[in-house]
Amino acid sequence: MSYKVTEEDNISIVHLDGEIDMDVTEKAKEVIMPLIEAKKEVHLNLKDVQYMDSSGISVLIESHQKATELGTKVILKDISKSVLKVIMMAKLEQILNLG
Amino acid sequence: MNSSVENNISEKKDFVVSSSSLKDVRSFSREVFSKVNLNQDLKDELVLAIAEAAQNIVKHAYQNQETDDKMEIKISLDNGELEIGFFDKGRPVDNSNVRHRKIDDVKPGGLGTFFIKQIMDAVVFKEGEKPWINHLILTKKINY
Repeated sequence: MSYKVTEEDNISIVHLDGEIDMDVTEKAKEVIMPLIEAKKEVHLNLKDVQYMDSSGISVLIESHQKATELGTKVILKDISKSVLKVIMMAKLEQILNLG
Repeated sequence: MNSSVENNISEKKDFVVSSSSLKDVRSFSREVFSKVNLNQDLKDELVLAIAEAAQNIVKHAYQNQETDDKMEIKISLDNGELEIGFFDKGRPVDNSNVRHRKIDDVKPGGLGTFFIKQIMDAVVFKEGEKPWINHLILTKKINY
């Protein structure tokens, strides 16, 4: 997994790239969580994520819950077909913010 | 139909029990399924189920501890009956403790088993024959 963080109008945009599994979830959390803790709105661009497993979905849930707790939000953007399928399999499409 | 595509197959491979092996587990699974005549969506789901089961071995049978132990994954397809076997030498699995999250319980964790049960027809834990401790069998009827 690789990533790139950009800032736009006080929104942090995290572009994730590659496959997100248990082996890289800590790295993903290290990138995303400090932005949420800084109470920024975070957009996760998932266009280039070709595979995500339950560990990756757990990162999305944790990010969403942390953001809600701190009064900000995480929005999932440009979700790839394969990631959307896993989100729907987890029945989370009504719970996570899909933008 | 492509003559290189077949509907009966049996392949197995060993992997070090580690989260860093999961990408190799997926590569192996994709390679095996590339040889059979299944639609791509189903292949993707099966790869996810296999990777989740392998992840459970790392997380639960070995509790994320570093080890040199190997796990073995065997994928067999015989006349529409897909069987995927997982063999490991970790902590014995107590079947009564294997549960997935409730559908309305939004929390991280327990999703892997939930995915496996959604994708596969049956999930059976057996005591492994020596040298193995655990033998997990996932099965699915394939309709061509």
